[in-house]
Amino acid sequence: MTLLPWKYAIPKSGPRTSPFEDLALPLLPSLYNVAVWLSRNPADAEDLVQETFLKALRGFGTFEPGTNFKAWIFRILRNTYLTSRSGLAAVRTVSLEEELEPRTDWGPNLFPEAAIDLRTPEVNLMRLSDQAALQAAMEELAPPLLEVILLCDVEEMKYREIATVLEIPIGTVMSRIARARMALRRLLTVSVTPSKSNAGGTGS
Amino acid sequence: MSDHLSLAVLNAVVDGELSEDQLAIANQHLAGCPHCTSNALAQSLLKSATARAGRRYTPPPDLRERFALLASQEVSHRQASPSQRALLPAGFSSYGWAAAAALVLICLGLFVVQRGMRRTSAEYAGLVTEVCDQHIATLAENSPPEVISSDRHTVKPWFQGKIPFSFNLPQNLPGDTTLDGANLTYLHNQPTAQLLYSIGRHRVSVFVQQGDGANATRDSWTDHSGFHVTGFRTRDLAVVAVSDVEPARLTDLVGRIEQAQAEAQAQPK
Repeated sequence: MTLLPWKYAIPKSGPRTSPFEDLALPLLPSLYNVAVWLSRNPADAEDLVQETFLKALRGFGTFEPGTNFKAWIFRILRNTYLTSRSGLAAVRTVSLEEELEPRTDWGPNLFPEAAIDLRTPEVNLMRLSDQAALQAAMEELAPPLLEVILLCDVEEMKYREIATVLEIPIGTVMSRIARARMALRRLLTVSVTPSKSNAGGTGS
Repeated sequence: MSDHLSLAVLNAVVDGELSEDQLAIANQHLAGCPHCTSNALAQSLLKSATARAGRRYTPPPDLRERFALLASQEVSHRQASPSQRALLPAGFSSYGWAAAAALVLICLGLFVVQRGMRRTSAEYAGLVTEVCDQHIATLAENSPPEVISSDRHTVKPWFQGKIPFSFNLPQNLPGDTTLDGANLTYLHNQPTAQLLYSIGRHRVSVFVQQGDGANATRDSWTDHSGFHVTGFRTRDLAVVAVSDVEPARLTDLVGRIEQAQAEAQAQPK
């Protein structure tokens, strides 16, 4: 270990931030947002983010400078969530790829991939402008689908980064994104047309 | 094969994940296919709407300040030693430095030896808390284990491909003890096998993690929230068991599991 004199210079007065703070604090809103979505409880989310923050701070020595810090700290958040009570419950609820359907009782084949032909973009736009409906639909998603859609669309992560955070292959990331969007479309459609019997009668 | 672009390709288009060549091919198809163009537009609209709807929660105003304070406290705690050295008198002799260096080396050696023999109490306390929390969560859940079986030949293979290590389960269990199943979980961010046993009406969680190559040790008893916690370490595994059953019966089960690891290592390859 080299003892460099400048390392021990008495710091000047005034606010001074560490490299960790410089990297982590700007991500706090994103971490908190994802944490509330996953835990579905602001108090749990605050605990989750604080634990993530402390784990990341203590393990910052293992972070390789120049690599993706955002993916690194989101991975810690996700693993911390998995060990939390709500995370454990979520993992046990859906453990198989086949089970990654939204938590509803509607039929599974409303929009098989080869036959996706939704309404016109104008109608889609009207539905998507209903933010509350979209948020309600997102709440219906199974946790593995919700987390992938949050990382992809909200956090604007690339597939490779998402694969790093979730510790799954890129192919699985693509598959989950496709399922998540298909589920959202389905949920939004159902929210517009609550039942098939009603759907026929609303046209005029 | 369908004439239309697959959903994965449409998603890759809107997510900007295609290479230039792939994008050119996709665009060529989209230029002549209203069906796929409509779907691509729908996916794109959905993506932007989800991005807006997903930014739903904002942290409390004081959270950033609290975390900044937390970080600065942690950092200043780590920097305390160098700062104190900077305040040493200028006449600190070379003998002093040599003595200090020797002291540091001795302390470092002691630390390494101690670390090899046992984990620090803080780390162990954290582990005990996490283990108990997970055990309580398991008890609180009404959902069954991820793998339900009393057959060790079913439970052990279930973990293949899920955890980066393997372990053995004892063939003969103590009386009134049954294997209920297992879960895949995480402890300290490491993938962990949670084996679920019943001793009479008492539930037991045995957490099996990858070892750190340290020498084999037997953990002493710890009580936490009314639960008994014990375990052992081999070169390859770290095992922690938690239950509210009487300690002797838990020790018996842990001993069988430890013996199963030893027997596996003793078997000719």
